[in-house]
Amino acid sequence: MIEFTDVHKWFGSLHVLNDISLTVTKGEVVVVCGRSGSGKSTLIRCINGLEPFQKGRLVVDGFDLGSSSVRLRELRMEVGFVFQSFNLYPHKTALENVTIAPIHVRGLSKAEAEVRGRALLEKVGLGDRMQNYPHQLSGGQQQRVAIARSLCMQPKIMLFDEPTSALDPEMINEVLEVMVSLAREGMTMMVVTHEMGFARKVADRVIFMDRGAIVETADPETFFTAAKSERTRDFLSKVLHH
Amino acid sequence: MFWLQLNRVVGYWPVLLKGLGMTVALSVLALLIGSVIGFALGILRAGPNRTLSRAVGLYVDFFRGTPFLLQVFIVFFILPQVGIELSAFTAGVVALSNVAGCFIGEIVAAGIQSVPAGQKEAAAASGFTRAQQMRLIVLPQAVRVVTPSLVGQFVLLIKDSSVVSAIGLLDLTRSGWMIVQNVPNGLLVFGIVGLGYFVICYPLIWLSRRMERRGQAPVL
Ligand SMILES: Nc1ncnc2c1ncn2[C@@H]1O[C@H](COP(=O)(O)OP(=O)(O)OP(=O)(O)O)[C@@H](O)[C@H]1O
Ligand SMILES: [Mg+2]
Repeated sequence: MIEFTDVHKWFGSLHVLNDISLTVTKGEVVVVCGRSGSGKSTLIRCINGLEPFQKGRLVVDGFDLGSSSVRLRELRMEVGFVFQSFNLYPHKTALENVTIAPIHVRGLSKAEAEVRGRALLEKVGLGDRMQNYPHQLSGGQQQRVAIARSLCMQPKIMLFDEPTSALDPEMINEVLEVMVSLAREGMTMMVVTHEMGFARKVADRVIFMDRGAIVETADPETFFTAAKSERTRDFLSKVLHH
Repeated sequence: MFWLQLNRVVGYWPVLLKGLGMTVALSVLALLIGSVIGFALGILRAGPNRTLSRAVGLYVDFFRGTPFLLQVFIVFFILPQVGIELSAFTAGVVALSNVAGCFIGEIVAAGIQSVPAGQKEAAAASGFTRAQQMRLIVLPQAVRVVTPSLVGQFVLLIKDSSVVSAIGLLDLTRSGWMIVQNVPNGLLVFGIVGLGYFVICYPLIWLSRRMERRGQAPVL
């Protein structure tokens, strides 16, 4: 589904992705962690073409992101992206936020899109908030709308960039629950997060990044108990004990 | 004496009314055409194409940086020399629409730039085309931010329209000139003319201030 081969990226002279090779298969849930500035966001933003890269090969759902003729729009229909800061459209209601892309990008009728959108908002527990504007919703509710918005395009892959980092602690769980159920339904997911509980529960693999490189890849059990790299263990001791 | 003069000025109401009509017609036309030009310029100015953005910037700065009277003269007296013959009315509308477009363009560009980058990213990530991102996501938010300034700009436009009386259009200002030939009381005549402008502009000023107070800024 997602295949990085020796991918490099620079921001000017800063080497933000250093020789990334990584394969994510259909239905897999991969959690990415690492210190601030290690390149986690950059890594997953490459997957839907929000960031270009300079060297190597990246193929996502058959689309070759390195080629100049890649049809990004078609790729993006298949890849949902959930941002740390939600980025809901402030001038649209929750339901409109969810249905606007299916209508204008997938070409669904308004009625079809609304059937889909309502079902998804129900599913994320916001059946009674469909007509609210984003500013009338709590952070946790906004992020659940954002997840529903991505799902409404019926993507094959879902990417999450620290989806709970901007939330008050009491709202983190309501968002994680939605993500857990999505993972259990077999969605292919890449999730940048420091929520190690989530990683333990549903991740097939956990990746640790440092200075643009993937330093450690392991199943959650091994990752948390027997990480090979010193830097990973150091990081874990800080994350797990705060 | 005063009452007599007032009576005579009022007797010229058809001229005043005609002038007022011309001023309103010029302003409304220029407002419509200028808005179309302004949105086009604003979108290009805030767009990703550097060269185009700079070119638009230069164009806009030229018209913002030269006297409007001069621009009217260029359109009316100089264009005919290169074969573009315009009636005074058309010349007035062209010059006014153009300058309005320049000012509106700057306002619209600022509005577009005020929309957080995350909005465009979210829209791009959903698979919208660039045009859809602009039309469905960015512009609606930008317009909310800039509406008070736009309305304020419309007031300036109405007032600027008085300059076109210089090429012989019988607008509100020129109707004042005509009346003052017969009723030699400039204060009275132009007081009434000023009142005419004020009557059209005040509702807009009021609207602009009210919107600013109510905070038309986007709800984030
Ligand atoms: N647009 C940009 N221009 C220049 N440098 C950038 C840009 N975006 C990110 N960087 C730099 O690239 C590096 C990796 O950034 P990235 O956002 O991928 O890190 P991250 O692991 O997601 O960090 P965080 O946990 O803080 O989100 C950082 O050093 C950052 O300063
Ligand atoms: Mg990040």
